[in-house]
Amino acid sequence: MKGARVAVKDSIEKTVLNILSKAIDKKLFDVILIPIMVPAGDSYAWVLAQDKSLLDSASSLPPIMSVQGAKALSSVTRMGKTNKKIAALMRPCEIRAVIELSKLSQIELDNIFLISMDCPGVLPLKDWLKDPTKGINSFRKVIQRFVDGDPEPDQSVRPVCTICHRFYDSSAVDLHIGILGKKGEYIFFIPHTTQAETIFAELGLSFKDDISHWQNGVDEVLKQRKKKRSLVQEELKPEVIGLDKLLDTFSNCINCHICQSVCPICYCRQCYFDSDKVKQPPDDYLMRAESKGNISLPPDKILFHLGRMSHMALSCVGCGACEDACPMSIKVAQIFSLIADRSQELFNYIPGESLEEPLPLRVFEEDELHEVETP
Amino acid sequence: MEEKIGVYICECGPNIAENVDIDKVINVVSSLPSVGIVERHKLLCSEDGKKFLKQSIQEHGLTRLVIAACSPKQHEATFMKVCEEAGLNPHLFQLVNIREQCAWIIEDKERATDRATRYVRAALRRIPYHQPLEKREIDCNPDVLVIGGGITGIETSLLLAGPDRKVYLVEKTSFLGGKLREFEKLAPGMESTDKLLKHKIKNVEESENIKVFTNAEVKGVIGFLGNFIAVVKTGENEELEIKVGSVVVATGFDLFDPTKIPRYGYSKFDDVYTSLEFEKMNLNGKILLKNGQPPKSIAIIHCVGREERGYCSAVCCSYSLKFARYLKARFPDVKVSNLYTELSVPGKVYQKFYEETKAMGVDFIRAREIEIKEKVIKYLTEDEKEQNLAVDMVILTPAIQPSSDASKLAEMLKISQDEKGFFAEEHEKLGPVSTSMEGIFIAGCAQGPRNIADSIIQAEAVAGKILSSIIPGKKLEPEARTSEISEALCIGCQTCLEVCAYGAIYFDEIKRVSVVNEILCRGCGNCAASCPSGAASLKHFTATQIHQEVVEALR
Repeated sequence: MKGARVAVKDSIEKTVLNILSKAIDKKLFDVILIPIMVPAGDSYAWVLAQDKSLLDSASSLPPIMSVQGAKALSSVTRMGKTNKKIAALMRPCEIRAVIELSKLSQIELDNIFLISMDCPGVLPLKDWLKDPTKGINSFRKVIQRFVDGDPEPDQSVRPVCTICHRFYDSSAVDLHIGILGKKGEYIFFIPHTTQAETIFAELGLSFKDDISHWQNGVDEVLKQRKKKRSLVQEELKPEVIGLDKLLDTFSNCINCHICQSVCPICYCRQCYFDSDKVKQPPDDYLMRAESKGNISLPPDKILFHLGRMSHMALSCVGCGACEDACPMSIKVAQIFSLIADRSQELFNYIPGESLEEPLPLRVFEEDELHEVETP
Repeated sequence: MEEKIGVYICECGPNIAENVDIDKVINVVSSLPSVGIVERHKLLCSEDGKKFLKQSIQEHGLTRLVIAACSPKQHEATFMKVCEEAGLNPHLFQLVNIREQCAWIIEDKERATDRATRYVRAALRRIPYHQPLEKREIDCNPDVLVIGGGITGIETSLLLAGPDRKVYLVEKTSFLGGKLREFEKLAPGMESTDKLLKHKIKNVEESENIKVFTNAEVKGVIGFLGNFIAVVKTGENEELEIKVGSVVVATGFDLFDPTKIPRYGYSKFDDVYTSLEFEKMNLNGKILLKNGQPPKSIAIIHCVGREERGYCSAVCCSYSLKFARYLKARFPDVKVSNLYTELSVPGKVYQKFYEETKAMGVDFIRAREIEIKEKVIKYLTEDEKEQNLAVDMVILTPAIQPSSDASKLAEMLKISQDEKGFFAEEHEKLGPVSTSMEGIFIAGCAQGPRNIADSIIQAEAVAGKILSSIIPGKKLEPEARTSEISEALCIGCQTCLEVCAYGAIYFDEIKRVSVVNEILCRGCGNCAASCPSGAASLKHFTATQIHQEVVEALR
C-alpha cells in the first residue's frame, strides 16, 4: 500500500483543512460534512459546509464527540442517494457506524466520499463542559502525545477511548489520513478507492510514497491499546458477570434511555423498550411484586440494557457515545465493548470493516454456534 | 359480552391419565377467572370426543377454549375444525401439550401434574389476548412448472397436462429428451430408445396444454402450494412470469468426473471413455479406436467413483450389460471384460439379462485396485493376485451425481439437499417424491440414482400427488396467523426481508417500509424475531400473548 506524504504546515488540522478547502475550490466535492465550532465556542456541530470560509472554524479532530457523525450523515442520506457529492470527514468509529448503518439501509453511500483520520480519542463531555478553553488546550496536548507515539494513552480522554483498538482506518473508507508515525511533521493521505486517487490527484497529491512509517506508528499504539483493552476488560468482568452484578451495575440507571438515543447503531424509529409492547397491565407488576416480595419501578430497567446489548452487540463500534452521555456515569460503553468483542468474535465479524460482509443476523449457516448448544 | 372459557383435559387413553393427576389439575384451574367449565375426557380426538366437544362448546356458550392434550402438531388442526363446526372462531382456542411435554417425559407423577397445571394456567393467562383471526380463501392454481426436459420431466408433463391444467416445461438445453437421446437401446429389453422417446417428445410438442421452453432457465420461484410465481428466462432472453400451483424438479444428474481418480487414466490415455461418451459413439455407429480400427478387446470398469461418492449408482451394472450386448452385436468376436467390485442386478428381469449376456462369452471379473495404463489394465483378483489385462479400449462407468446446478436450484426453491447433494425427499418411505416445501416435488435422478423405469414410476407418483391435491377450482385457505409490519414503526432496514424464507416480504420504495404479502406468508415468525423495533409481529404469537404465557408459566 502506498500513500501521499504531506508536510504539516502550522498544524495537522490546518494542513488537512487547507487541502479540503482546495477540493471545494476545484468543486471536487459539493459539500463537506465536518464538525464546526459553534459560535459560542463551547461545542461542535456537524455542518454541511458548502462555503469554504466555514472551514475556518471547522475541526478535523474536535476535542469532543457531541453527536456521533454517523447520525449526522444518516439524517441527509437515509431516504436514498443525495444529489450533492458529500465528503464526510469523521473519526474511525464514526465511519464504522456509517458502514453499519448503510448495511441497515439508514445511510446511502452513493455520492458520499468517506474520509477518516487516526484518532487519539476525545475528551469526556462532562470534563469539557467545565472549561472548554482549557479543553481545547489539553486536547492539543493529547494529539501531540498521540503523534509522538507515546505508548501510554493520555488519561484525559474518555476511558473507552484509551482501550480503542480501531483508532485507525477501515477498508471501507475512500481515503484515510494517517497522522501517526512521523511525530506530526508529516501526515499520510492513504487512498482506498480509485475515486480517492483521481480526486486527490487533481489537488497535486500523488500516491507513490512509502507509508511504512505510518504503519509502524499504528502498530506501536495498537499493541499498547490491545494490552490495555484486555486488562480493562478483565478488571471489569467480575463487576458485571451474572445477573446480580449486572443489577448492581445498572442500579443507579435513571431510565432516561439517553444511551439509546445517542447510539448511532440504535436506528429504530421507536425503541422496542419504549414501546407499548413491553408495558404490561399494571396488575402484572403487582402480581410480580407479590410473588417476588418486591419490584423496582419503573420496571424492566435491566431488560432495557440487556435488550439493547443483544440488539446491537454485533454492530457496536465502541464509539463511547452512550457512556459519554450517561448522566449517572455508568460504564455503559466499557461493558458493551466486553459483550461486543465476544459476540463479534463468535461470528468473525468486525463492524464497519467492509461493506461486503453481511450482518451476521442476516446470514443463515446450518453449521454454526455450537458454542451455545447444551452438551 | 362476558367471557366464558372452557377447559378440557384429554386423558389420551392411559397416555396422559396415568402420569398426570387430572383431577388435581381440574381443581386448581376451576377457580381461575373467566373459567366457565372444566372437564376431562377419555380421548378428545376420537369421533366421540369431538362430538362431545362440539356439544359442550354450544351448550355452555363458550367464548374461548383451552384444551390440554397432545402436541399441536398432532391435533391442533383437528380441534380447530371442531371449534369451527361449533361456531367458535378457531383462533380463540389454545392447545396445551401435556403429553409430550409433561406425561411422557416426567417420571414423577406429582411433578408432571404440577407442570401440567402450570401450562394450563399459562394458556388461560394467554387466551384472553387471542384475536378471532378471519380465515380467507384464495384460488388454487392447477398449473404445473416442470423443471427438466429429460424422460422424467417429459413423462410428468404428459401425465399432468390437460384442458384444465397447463404444464410449463423448462429445459436448459436446446432439446427435449435429456441424456436418453443418446441411448440407442434400453436394457434389459434392448428395445429401441427412439420408439419410446420420439413418440413422447412428439406428444409433448403437439400438446396444446404443454408450453415448452428450451434453452431456458428458472430464475426464481416464490410462493407455496397452489400459488407459486416463477420467473423463467426463455431462449429469447425474455423474463417471463409464470403462475403455477406446483413445481416438479426433474433435473436429472451429472456423471462423476473420472479425472478425479488419476489411476483410471481418463483424459491421459487414448481410448478411455465414459459411459455417456460410449453411448454416443454407439449411437453414431462409430465404435472405433483412435487409430480408426475397430476394438478387439474392451474392458468395462464398474463402480468408478463409488467409494468417493459413498453410494452405488444403481444403473451402471445393468447398462454395462447393455454395452456388452451393443459390442457383441457389432463385433461378434470382440472380447468384453467387466471389472467390478460388487455386481448389482436386482429385480425380476435383470438376472436373466445378466446370465444371457454372460453366456455370450462376456467376462465378469471381480477386481480391486484397478489401474489403467497404456492398453493394459493392472488389477488385483479376489485372492490378491496381481493381474494384467491387455485391452485396446476402456469404458468407465462413473457414478451418478447431482447435477451441477442442484445447489443453486435448492436454494432458490428453498428445498433441502441430502448429504450427497441430491434433492432430499420429505421421507424416504412415506414421502419419496415430496420435499420440505409443500407443492414442490422431485422425481428421477434429481432425487438419487435410479433407472428409467423407476424414474417413470416417480413421475407417475408426482402426477398422482398433484392430481389428487390440486384439483382445478379448489380453494386454498392461506395461513391466518401471518406476520404484519407496522408502517408507523418500520424504519426500512430490511432485515426482515433478508430472513424471510418464503419471499413474502417486499420493500415499498416510496414509503420506505417493508410490507408483508399475506398470501405468501407462512407465519414462521423469522421477521418478528429479527425486527429490533417490534414493527414486525406475528398474529397469534404477539409479544403480549407470549409474554403473558411465559409470565404465568414461570410464576
